[in-house]
Amino acid sequence: MTDWLLDPLRHTFMQHAFVAIVLVGIICGVTGTFVTLRGLAFLGDALSHAIFPGVVIAYVLGGNFLIGALVAAVVVSFGIGLISQSSRLTNDTAIGVLFAGGFALGIALISAQRSYVKDLSTFLLGSILGVSRHDLYLTGAVGALVLGVFGYFRRELTIVAFDRTFAQATGINLWAFDQLFLVLLSLAIVVSLQTVGNILVLAMLVTPAATARLLTDRLRIMVVLAAVIGALSGVVGLYLSYHLSIASGASAVLVATAVFAVVFLFAPRTGVVTVAISRRLHFPHPELDAFPSDEAPSATGAESGRLRDTTPAIHADPSPRS
Amino acid sequence: MDSVDRTTHQPGDRTRLAVDQLGVHFGNRSALEGISATFRAGETVSLLGPNGAGKSTLLRVIAGVLPATHGSVRLDGRPIAGPHPAVVYVPQRSSVDWTFPVSVLDVVLMARSSRRSRFIPFTGDDRKRALAALDQVGMRQFAPIQIGQLSGGQQQRVFLARALLQDGDVYLLDEPFSGVDVPTQDLVVSLFDGLRRSGRTIVYATHDLAQAIKSSDRIFLLNRRLIAAGPPTETMTAGNLRATFGGQAIVPIDGGLIALGDNP
Repeated sequence: MTDWLLDPLRHTFMQHAFVAIVLVGIICGVTGTFVTLRGLAFLGDALSHAIFPGVVIAYVLGGNFLIGALVAAVVVSFGIGLISQSSRLTNDTAIGVLFAGGFALGIALISAQRSYVKDLSTFLLGSILGVSRHDLYLTGAVGALVLGVFGYFRRELTIVAFDRTFAQATGINLWAFDQLFLVLLSLAIVVSLQTVGNILVLAMLVTPAATARLLTDRLRIMVVLAAVIGALSGVVGLYLSYHLSIASGASAVLVATAVFAVVFLFAPRTGVVTVAISRRLHFPHPELDAFPSDEAPSATGAESGRLRDTTPAIHADPSPRS
Repeated sequence: MDSVDRTTHQPGDRTRLAVDQLGVHFGNRSALEGISATFRAGETVSLLGPNGAGKSTLLRVIAGVLPATHGSVRLDGRPIAGPHPAVVYVPQRSSVDWTFPVSVLDVVLMARSSRRSRFIPFTGDDRKRALAALDQVGMRQFAPIQIGQLSGGQQQRVFLARALLQDGDVYLLDEPFSGVDVPTQDLVVSLFDGLRRSGRTIVYATHDLAQAIKSSDRIFLLNRRLIAAGPPTETMTAGNLRATFGGQAIVPIDGGLIALGDNP
């Protein structure tokens, strides 16, 4: 067992790989929390594909692929805004058009290169064994920037995600924060390209955050949990990748998916199996329905002459957590 | 339900808010035209009118979330264009994500976020104020609960608590009495009373004529244009109501008036 754990660490390229995947797990976990809360998984997927031509152009020209990707991300996000202004097309449609078009452009550009197949698979699936020390510095710097901006604007980003009307009425510039979020998302995707690849980066954004959401009702805890789950999935995935000779991105995503499945079934209060078991143990359990979350107004109100509020049996923790 | 006690409280003479020749067009359609009015400190004004009369539009323009096509809004004599910290807006149905991982206390604390340094977490004082606001709406014991776990009326109370904590001079509320239970309606009336006594200006849109008569100092009858404005007894004449609501039936009950065929 010790050998199993230590053997990979003897190689410098594996040490780099471990640092890279931990950084990516943290960055994607934090960014992914906001992606899932805003229901933007499809946009995340689209963005990762649409920035592909930017990465390829930078690669072909020998420039910095981070800058290429960012330029592409900004172009694409403005394009989505522009197309969805047409009242006949929804946002989803605009995203779909641009993402497929951008991805095709990227493939067309890279297929003109001599080492076509190898280059393409590097971009699509990642190539974790080639992470250099320089790449780590870059990933670390971008990660610090992304986390710093999330921390600095945490309140605005939370309010924009939760209640857009309130955000607007309190003077928060929705457009600016939406664009800022797209840039942060693009950065998170770009630094993940080398480690998990273009196709699977979406899973690193969505799966750990979704798992964290099942475990907590607190945003702060959710962010931390998502980062921890993302980083741990990456590390475990990398071990499996090393010992079983499977693609590192794929194994990291499979581990994250397995963690999600376990939590989905067995989480303390929300797990499907857990809830079924506790129903059976404590049946009947009417207080579970004490707070229907339906949006229906409570009729005309006059029905009982007393507040629904006055009969609650609260089973959540009554002490305010801070 | 208490009616406004006009013997102990008179609105001040000071003009808090003024709109001048306000007009809003959506494409070719005009939603509001030539609205000029003043709102004083310490008074409650209700906006009455049929669906599509522009009540919500007027509130949104004053709140600064919808730009006016023509005209201007002035707060304490100074023109404002866009949101202002002293103007608090409570929309009819908050379009919030009810599954969002925030507690009731977190939601109320959002009112303080623009007043706090980015580098400092909320202090005990912020929390104390937020809990006091929750106390005012009878929701203190729900502070740690996730917002989606509450009933519709309870959720509305939490948003009222957040509005109270914003501590504005002008409160704009869209249909605060609709879709909530009777105790919450009573609560809204008593909150209005407390706010106007402390010199705040309240402007709210409603469909409920009887409620408007009971709990406003002045009523504005609105149907794209401002048809009449003044104290309830002067405004609510048959002629004005007909001009506002057109053919829609108005049935007098016990001296009050109920507009029919108009509730959402």
